[in-house]
Amino acid sequence: MSLYRLESLSVAIGGRVLVRDVSLEIAPGECVALAGASGSGKSLTSLSPFGLSAGRIGGSAVLDGKELAGLDEAALRAVRRDTVGFVFQQPLTALTPHLTSAQHLAECAMQAGGPRPDRAALGDMLDAVGLADPLTKLKRYPHQLSGGERQRLMIACAIAHGPRLLIADEPVSALDAHLRGEIMALLTRLRRETGMGLLLVSHDLASLEHHADRVLVMQEGHVVEAGAAQMIAHAPQHAYSQALWAATPNLKSALPDDLPQPGAALVEARGLTVRFPGSGLFAKPMTAVDGVDLMVRAGEAVALIGGSGSGKSTIGRGIAGLGPVSAGTVLWRGEPLSAKRTRDQRRLIQPVFQDPLASLDPRWRVSDIIAEPLVHLRPDLTSWGRAGLVKKALQLVDLDGALADRLPTALSGGQAQRVAIARALVAEPEMLVLDEATSALDPLVGAQIVALLKRLQRDQGIAMLVITHDLALAAQFCHRALVLDAGRIVEQGSIADLVNHPQAAMTQRLVAAS
Amino acid sequence: MRALILRRLFTAIPTLLLVLLASFALMRFAPGGPFDGERPLAPETRAALEAAYGLNLPMGEQFALFLRRTLTGDFGPSLVYRDFTVTQLIADSLPVSLTLGGLAILLALVLGLAAGTLAALRPGSWADETLMLGATLVTALPSFVTGPLLALVFGLWLGLLPVGGLGDSLISAPQFWVMPVIALALPVAGAIAKLARAGLAAALAQEHIRTARARGLSTGAIVLRHALRPALVPVVSYLGPAAAGLLTGAVVIETVFALPGLGRYFVQGALNRDYPLIMAVILLYAALIIAFNLLADLIYGWLDPRSRA
Repeated sequence: MSLYRLESLSVAIGGRVLVRDVSLEIAPGECVALAGASGSGKSLTSLSPFGLSAGRIGGSAVLDGKELAGLDEAALRAVRRDTVGFVFQQPLTALTPHLTSAQHLAECAMQAGGPRPDRAALGDMLDAVGLADPLTKLKRYPHQLSGGERQRLMIACAIAHGPRLLIADEPVSALDAHLRGEIMALLTRLRRETGMGLLLVSHDLASLEHHADRVLVMQEGHVVEAGAAQMIAHAPQHAYSQALWAATPNLKSALPDDLPQPGAALVEARGLTVRFPGSGLFAKPMTAVDGVDLMVRAGEAVALIGGSGSGKSTIGRGIAGLGPVSAGTVLWRGEPLSAKRTRDQRRLIQPVFQDPLASLDPRWRVSDIIAEPLVHLRPDLTSWGRAGLVKKALQLVDLDGALADRLPTALSGGQAQRVAIARALVAEPEMLVLDEATSALDPLVGAQIVALLKRLQRDQGIAMLVITHDLALAAQFCHRALVLDAGRIVEQGSIADLVNHPQAAMTQRLVAAS
Repeated sequence: MRALILRRLFTAIPTLLLVLLASFALMRFAPGGPFDGERPLAPETRAALEAAYGLNLPMGEQFALFLRRTLTGDFGPSLVYRDFTVTQLIADSLPVSLTLGGLAILLALVLGLAAGTLAALRPGSWADETLMLGATLVTALPSFVTGPLLALVFGLWLGLLPVGGLGDSLISAPQFWVMPVIALALPVAGAIAKLARAGLAAALAQEHIRTARARGLSTGAIVLRHALRPALVPVVSYLGPAAAGLLTGAVVIETVFALPGLGRYFVQGALNRDYPLIMAVILLYAALIIAFNLLADLIYGWLDPRSRA
């Protein structure tokens, strides 16, 4: 008997049909996954039947014998309150910042009319989702928890009232590679123990093989392929499913052997140390980066790999001259760079950040965004000269010149990241610092950005410091990798060596997670 | 949090000293003095008066004397109301101003938050439009218009409420407070309504509100538990410094409704060059500003735990 069944579901927003003819069935304890690139309609499909999107549904959605289509907001609210739980992508923003773990859990346990849980019961709820030291964590606010702890809290909240169906919308894509596996395993264990159904929305295809029973691949609002997870993982039929799989970085594919030969040492950090003042009046300073040595040669791509909080972004900022350095030196072609960089020194190293929409000013047009570094770094140029270089930078990243007049909000995620790369390239730097530059993008778009980076590496000879938590991504275009744990380098070497003979525990975890 | 309080109290001392020094200098270098009346005094009388009040001493010494007195809580006799000490004048009038200001702040909060919340929950509806139009109107109308208008309608025409004065004590006749409190509260309520509406609209668009909706919570629970606290941050930023001003005397309202509050001493002290009185009032005002800004910072910490340093 099925727990949840969609039959010819369609979703329309303002008369435009964005999802059409989706049918699926979930039995108790079963997991069905919706896979696809962003904009394929998988979130709309999962959320709209419960009134959590702006969309209106057509067709039929039956939960536990109850038809959801046509219910009013009050009735849908009762369904959400009593029978369904939801887990969202970004646990930091999806949890209420001013409520503690205990307050969140108590509210969720009581939402369907349960009694107020005592401290021991709240602790048990955190224990059930694998949170270590649950009683201390009860007093914490969401921002005081780590990313993995937050997502566990979010899951504990979603199942606190004993839902029959759990809907998880990209529950792990904001997390580190090694946390992804843990959270997916937790979801699998919970649904087997409690017999609740799981509707999983994901673009992390690699994990679906192990954690989903059936997969529906969606493209542009409809299902292009559906079947057992094993089948789709090993023999995808539809061209789109194949492209989606091919775009997902994994270590099983062969390492590239056509990387350009690196030249002489370009940038070198010796004993780089960064400390931050502790919180509280007499707290000890926190050492985020502890005596790191690293070197990047001309034309070389070096990956800096580690989990969140390992200090990898802090190193990148220190090298780019964008963040504090407490001790140690940064050399450029053998010459030390001072803490306050000169204009020309700043031009040499340019950053690209994770979330392009957050790092581009929403009120500036694309052409102005790309031209801004020139205003400061190349005061010799006239506005004509700047316009010429902006046009060249747009071509370099394969963007249509017609986009120059747009605002960042009118761009897709991939286009916005290309603009961010064009902005970094326009002042003709010799090195890019790429801080998780593809991890906010879906696999298809991420693969296109990787292809662009490889081309820049080959044609322009640009050196890159690639900051990532994803070893499989680094394997696609990096010469070497340094593995960081708690601010120190624990292992380094060629990607092939790290993948085939990982020594440090951190490296082994990263390889296992990829 | 304790560190924040200690740090603020520590920086409050030099701040207050600077404020006092600046106002002392401004008062003294402004032309005129406490004994410049319509009839010029005989030079001997004037000299005797100045000697009696220590005004013949060098400026530095006068300031030092003032500081020493301030520390003991004794500001000396008023130069204009010569039968009273400044401390007496303030002790008599401050409770009136505190009551008026405190009630006005409470009323403004209740009206402003209610209107702002209703408007934010139905953006673009007629209720939203009407409430925000009203908020703009009461913010734009100065209290010297609303005060007399209220007095005219409810006091003179309808005869419902007394047009001015105060009962035997602060609380013996509550009807005396109604109109002054409303007149003082309206512009503040308008400002709060607009800030609360904008803050709540921003808070309701946050992702954690979607999570709360996904739990099937009622609109009331979502607003009260999940949205209101972050929405109050701009209200607190505005109300912190504004409260200090409201509590230390609303000159116009006190004049219109003949309330014996602190506000008139503010004006008369400055006009009459009543040095001890004006310095005491300024000290009180500055101390309240500092205290309310500290209070606002502590409230931020409660509204958004992420802002706790």
